[in-house]
Amino acid sequence: MCVGLSARVDKIKNGMAVVDASGVKREISTELIENLYPGDYVMVHAGIAIAKISSTDEDEVNKIMETIKDAK
Amino acid sequence: MLSKDIEKAKSIIMNYDGPPIKIMEVCGTHTHEIFKLGIRNILPNNINLISGPGCPVCVTPTEFIDEAIYLALEKNITICTFGDLIRVPGTSSSLGDARSKGANIQMVYSPLDSVEYAINHPEQQVVFLSVGFETTTPASCIAVRNAKNIELKNFSILGANKTMYQAYLALKDAADAYIYPGHVCTMTGMSELYKLRDEENVSGAVTGFSASEILSSLAYIISETQKNKPFVANLYPRVVTEEGLIKAKTLVENTMESCDSIWRGLGIIEKSGMKLKKEYIDYDARAKYDIPKIVGKPNKGCKCGEVLRGDIKPFECPLFSKGCTPEHPIGACMVSNEGACSAYYKYGENLWKKN
Repeated sequence: MCVGLSARVDKIKNGMAVVDASGVKREISTELIENLYPGDYVMVHAGIAIAKISSTDEDEVNKIMETIKDAK
Repeated sequence: MLSKDIEKAKSIIMNYDGPPIKIMEVCGTHTHEIFKLGIRNILPNNINLISGPGCPVCVTPTEFIDEAIYLALEKNITICTFGDLIRVPGTSSSLGDARSKGANIQMVYSPLDSVEYAINHPEQQVVFLSVGFETTTPASCIAVRNAKNIELKNFSILGANKTMYQAYLALKDAADAYIYPGHVCTMTGMSELYKLRDEENVSGAVTGFSASEILSSLAYIISETQKNKPFVANLYPRVVTEEGLIKAKTLVENTMESCDSIWRGLGIIEKSGMKLKKEYIDYDARAKYDIPKIVGKPNKGCKCGEVLRGDIKPFECPLFSKGCTPEHPIGACMVSNEGACSAYYKYGENLWKKN
């Protein structure tokens, strides 16, 4: 039950959105997320969007590894 | 280059030859991803990964299942629930068993679906089994608020919502650092983790769920642990912000309040639960149906508690693979797809078959 799923926002209306998670479409609540537009990616838990995903993991991991390098 | 970073992280992990480090992954999805990706197979002997209590189904106590079965069978109430609760054993049976006796048990993906179900079935009284941590609680709050807004009379929730902060504290001596659950942190933000670091010397890294995120987080934790100073870092900033999700926090604060909560295997942890506020009491199934006090009795041989505290590995439980399997679970950790026992059974054969 407690699994996060990333999904692309297709349509938004009245705090609800149709999202596409790897081809599976579903209506979810997006009322907790501000400034959300079609094309954005969100993290979905139990039928509600709990976060906007701002980038892929590549930059993030690169920064983590830079931090470790700096520490040495 | 991602592949270069992954190689670097792997090298730090595999070549670690310092003092033993215990790292607890709190979230059940981390437990499963770590197994599925084969990360356990590259860990040196001096790094011990412990699977913690971050699976809401696994920490739901026996008496909660007993209460739900009481409602379904004695009060003829329709139970809407996440699928993996259906097979969790109560004291003498599961919701699945209750269904075979005629109970109406509906599987839903979201609390919002159970409100829809109640709207579409006005002749039935509907109770949603509201388990979950910070990630799931807002969905229950939205469901209750929506039900109240339309004065829906045949819907309520049986609550067992939990918060992680007190659990981090209760288990802080079990490991040197936590792999903090990325999605819980989307809600809470970083402040409570800074507090744990500054006031309780608790270390950890907020971690995402891809292979590169988990590997780089392990490398980071190994590197930081060697400095012998409490640390915390947000290594999942593409999803987790400093402040967390303010709207979710406000919604939960307006709908629920803190309470003590029973965790399977850990007992009562003060202020680790959430229950509906007085103004939503009509939507609290315990108040609405006057459920008698039930004391659950878990199977005596089941060691889910020790597993959740990190005291033993799942395969050290006498029932593991002998009577307790994903097909015929005895303990909650074997039922849930996010449970540690289920992960060890499905993916960790090389660890337990030789034992």
